[in-house]
Amino acid sequence: MKEMLQKHKQYLLTGVSHVIPFIACGGILIALSLAYAFRFHLQDAHGGPDVSQAPWFIQDMFTIGKTAFTLFPAVLAGFIAHAMAGKPGLVPGFIGGLIAGTPQTIDGKNVSAGFLGALVIGFVAGHVVNAVKKIPVPKLLRPIMPIIVVPILSALPVGALMLALNVPMAQVMIALNNGLDHMQAGSQIVLAMVLGAMIAFDMGGPVNKTAFFFGVAMIQQNNFAIMGACAAAICTPPLGMGLATLLSRKRWTDEQRESGLAALGMGLIGITEGAIPFAAADPLRVIPTIMFGSMVAATVAMLGHVGDHAPHGGPIVLPVVDHRLDYIAAILAGTVVTAVTINLIKPPAEKTPAAEGV
Amino acid sequence: MKLVAVTACPTGIAHTYMAAEKLEKTAKKLGHTIKVETQGAMGIENALTQAEIDAAEAVIIAADIAIERPERFSRIRQIRVPVHSALKNPEEIFTKLK
Repeated sequence: MKEMLQKHKQYLLTGVSHVIPFIACGGILIALSLAYAFRFHLQDAHGGPDVSQAPWFIQDMFTIGKTAFTLFPAVLAGFIAHAMAGKPGLVPGFIGGLIAGTPQTIDGKNVSAGFLGALVIGFVAGHVVNAVKKIPVPKLLRPIMPIIVVPILSALPVGALMLALNVPMAQVMIALNNGLDHMQAGSQIVLAMVLGAMIAFDMGGPVNKTAFFFGVAMIQQNNFAIMGACAAAICTPPLGMGLATLLSRKRWTDEQRESGLAALGMGLIGITEGAIPFAAADPLRVIPTIMFGSMVAATVAMLGHVGDHAPHGGPIVLPVVDHRLDYIAAILAGTVVTAVTINLIKPPAEKTPAAEGV
Repeated sequence: MKLVAVTACPTGIAHTYMAAEKLEKTAKKLGHTIKVETQGAMGIENALTQAEIDAAEAVIIAADIAIERPERFSRIRQIRVPVHSALKNPEEIFTKLK
């Protein structure tokens, strides 16, 4: 049982590894084009940013970013199934994922089963293909198995299942969204703390991505606060560690001070991975510290009603953030807390290059 | 001992390469020769040839995800570990070879 879960985790992460560049590409292009609309006060009837009034290249950028995002559920499901069943997994995976990403109109709202649906259907597709592969076939028919029989026999049930699941899963997303909307301040803080801790815990690993995807899924449902909390939490581990190396030179080796500068750069563009060299060298001190810092950042952002319209974090998304001053305050608070805490609990670096292997 | 290895993590920008470096350093320290293929966000880099794989006594696969082209290693001994164990206890991986 444990081994099976382990395997499925690996399949999921394989899908995630393929989807990350799509999200980064889509996220940044959408963020930039929305930033343009914000900057020049191009607004639609509801006061939201309206890219359709922008010059053609901004509109193109927006469309390209959106397209990368449209592909995201299909790629996720496709490559989960691919990891499980090899090449034949791609057809039902892509089809199921694309269906999951198709918006449904429920009670006048456009929602889709999205990321959650894609994840589920990716696993289903993998299992279905593996089952279909086991059907015994006479030698004569074997050549048509991989190009006709397996794709059709797997795509049909997987696609039909996703079509049937689409509305109920979209309803789950609506319920989740409504629940978040009506959450009391107290539970909002708890949620922000959990998200912050998750974002920092493995710096871009599966736990981080779970929280991140939750934020992204909520953007698709027009709830920007979750991503706002994540966005602030995403950048504080590298920013905080970078600031720490600047504040107290004697605690850090030359190499670490160098990675400190790199971490500051990565923090600014919202790459949590910048903190990894520090966490790898001293996980017991660094990981709890950055988790604490990110919790602070996420909580401040949540309390300040920070909303992030782009599926990306860090200071780079500032132009597309609602309540920008609160966003800056959240990042500063998390960064300073991280830097001061780590410098308080970390002994000075030894003169010899003690931090082996960093 | 002649070894080959593959490293791969979900994001493919940090752990993959750090694990590769650790494996190379540790192998050198313990007197093994090793070639490490990285399967990061840039795809396969420092790719292993089939001849190199056939000449090796074992392959260390340090990965949190399904690796690409695993069929290449079907005929040699495989040691499969998560990426973080290559970062934390690389020497322990090599003791598994004995």
